[in-house]
Amino acid sequence: EYIFSRYPLYQRGNPQQRIFLPNFWLKLVRPDHKQPPNIVQFIVSIEMTKHDIKNYLEKIYNIPVVDIRTVVAMGKTKQDEVKGYVTKEDDFKVAFVTLPRGQKFEFPDLFPKDEKKFESDAKTLEETKKNHRKFLEKSNQRPGVPGWYSF
Amino acid sequence: MGRFRWHHCRTTIRRSTIRIKPLKYEQEYTDTPQYPPILDISYKARKQRMENQWHEKIKSIKTVEEKLFEINMPRYYGWRSIMLREGSIPYDSLPFVQHVTRTHLREFKDLAPYSTNLEEDANKLLGQVKPRIEEALIFEFKYRSRKHEYLHNEGGPITAEKLDNIMGTSILQQVNRILLGNLSKKVPHLVKCQVETDPRIESFWSVGGMNPPTFLRKHKENVPWLKDEAGEPIDRWFQYLGSPIFHLRHELPLPAVVQMNESESSEFDVPFFSYDPKVIGFHDDRRLGTNIPGFWPGDPCEFGLLSFHHRGHMHQRLLQYGEEDRADALHVQAILASFGWLLPQACYQGFSTFNDVTYPLVTQTVITNGKLWSFYVYQLNTTLLHGEHTSNNPRHNLCWGTPELKLFEAIEDGKVIGFNDDVLKYLLKFYLNTPKVREGVEMKPYLGDVEKHIADITEDKRREWLEAEFKHMYSTRPRHVLPYEIYQWERIYKIRHKTRPLEARRRPFELKNVHPFMRRYDEHVPKYIPKKFREPGKFRQKFEDTYYP
Repeated sequence: EYIFSRYPLYQRGNPQQRIFLPNFWLKLVRPDHKQPPNIVQFIVSIEMTKHDIKNYLEKIYNIPVVDIRTVVAMGKTKQDEVKGYVTKEDDFKVAFVTLPRGQKFEFPDLFPKDEKKFESDAKTLEETKKNHRKFLEKSNQRPGVPGWYSF
Repeated sequence: MGRFRWHHCRTTIRRSTIRIKPLKYEQEYTDTPQYPPILDISYKARKQRMENQWHEKIKSIKTVEEKLFEINMPRYYGWRSIMLREGSIPYDSLPFVQHVTRTHLREFKDLAPYSTNLEEDANKLLGQVKPRIEEALIFEFKYRSRKHEYLHNEGGPITAEKLDNIMGTSILQQVNRILLGNLSKKVPHLVKCQVETDPRIESFWSVGGMNPPTFLRKHKENVPWLKDEAGEPIDRWFQYLGSPIFHLRHELPLPAVVQMNESESSEFDVPFFSYDPKVIGFHDDRRLGTNIPGFWPGDPCEFGLLSFHHRGHMHQRLLQYGEEDRADALHVQAILASFGWLLPQACYQGFSTFNDVTYPLVTQTVITNGKLWSFYVYQLNTTLLHGEHTSNNPRHNLCWGTPELKLFEAIEDGKVIGFNDDVLKYLLKFYLNTPKVREGVEMKPYLGDVEKHIADITEDKRREWLEAEFKHMYSTRPRHVLPYEIYQWERIYKIRHKTRPLEARRRPFELKNVHPFMRRYDEHVPKYIPKKFREPGKFRQKFEDTYYP
């Protein structure tokens, strides 16, 4: 993928350059392992450094950050089922952000097993099925007539 | 590159832990049958029994060096252990360090012996010692030229950390000289104590109760008989590498602060840390474990009195960690330094991380940079921290510490302003604390009567062989042949995706029951003796004898 605004690598002594609209993004992710409640896991753009991630969270989202550790993880390899050649997905950067002591973050349960909701959803599904069957019964008696026709 | 024949190596042999021999002689028969105890035959219980056998073996070995050697015998390439170094302390690591050393932390003011017994002596000597120390401080801060430190710096201008450490070292040398000189008449044990500069402190121990790393958990989930215990806590090895400024050692141990059975009370509870240490910011390495208290076995001065440490790493500590964490970092350094010194001292007495101490050991630690001082007293009551002992061990290790205290406010116009007498008194009390003989206590219960060190062994060949091997193991030099490695392309094209079905299976991961990193220390080609050098009566002996414990 061609990135139009490359993040310029800063080395001490370089003039301070600014770029607009850099490719900086953060994706909050559920951790695969158990970790203390004040550590949050993100997948970030490979071009971001620890200072960038810290500034991003503090200035845009107002989240105090104590420590950041980054790791570049290799993308998963896949084998094509038909031809058998091996391809590799892109590499990505994982950031472990430490919040101040005492602050907690728990990754939310996005797909809760709500039994009541499940039952009410099943009920509404049954009702729509019933109504549709009624409609089909009526329309069989007058073929070719549109459904909104009534008197 | 030579070809290593992995398929010729030992594959894992299942050894039975149930040893029952049928009775042979008539006299061994009894009227009623004497049944052996019913043993649990589950996988976990069998593993536990094998480990206990190994712990008993370590206990029964007679010499100190052989005990330390035996801990590394199961692994040729070393144990995968979490490295704890003196300067690197991640954020919020105090609960973790307390769990890992089973230490209860308390304020120094609660220490009775230091506030009553030694108080009067300290007050008397204060007046004698104070002017000399002030003179030394003025000299070190104002008049001593440190130009050479600024000039000969390879990595750029001198860092605040290095300067801090230099100041700490030089002031401590002066203070130590003054105190040893002035107090020796009053307290004769100081004449016989050893001062060790820049000692090599390494300690190696096993702790349980922490979650396994992700790769191990996922591997266990794929194995049918390990699936149930995939997420259960496992034992982790820890290797601490300390770098104190200097040490004071003596032949006799310091008296215990609190009785050992008192440490079993619940008021000395320790926080439980259940996460993988890598989650906090520690890293691991494959290394042969070493337990060195700054001197080699056989040294008469076996017990520690005082140890002084740098605090230059506080300069590198990010400000955003906060003030509370800065104070905690010093506690972490002191707890690790004290435990890291006391455990090898206990190992030299015949105990180990698997065989608990039978009497408490005490040490005093000071962290300083010349201006800011912190004092700690640590009592080691237990070394059993692995497996069930993490939650079942009633004893706790105790640590009493002060916050950071200023010795003086500033040095101006050749005078010390705001000299704090309390700090000097603490230091005096530490020096005045006399080590005593432990009455009626068996100091080395797990060592042999005559054979306590390798030097005591009478058989010449065995002694020389053991000495050479022990020193080689403890030199921690890397091996000449690199350890086994799975290459990236092999991982992709052979393990994850089987794209080479017709290639010969020679690599260890392609063979069954071959685990290179489970190679034992004594699994190596024995050393060949050429015919010219064989002993006169033993021409058939092609290979040299080995005397592994």
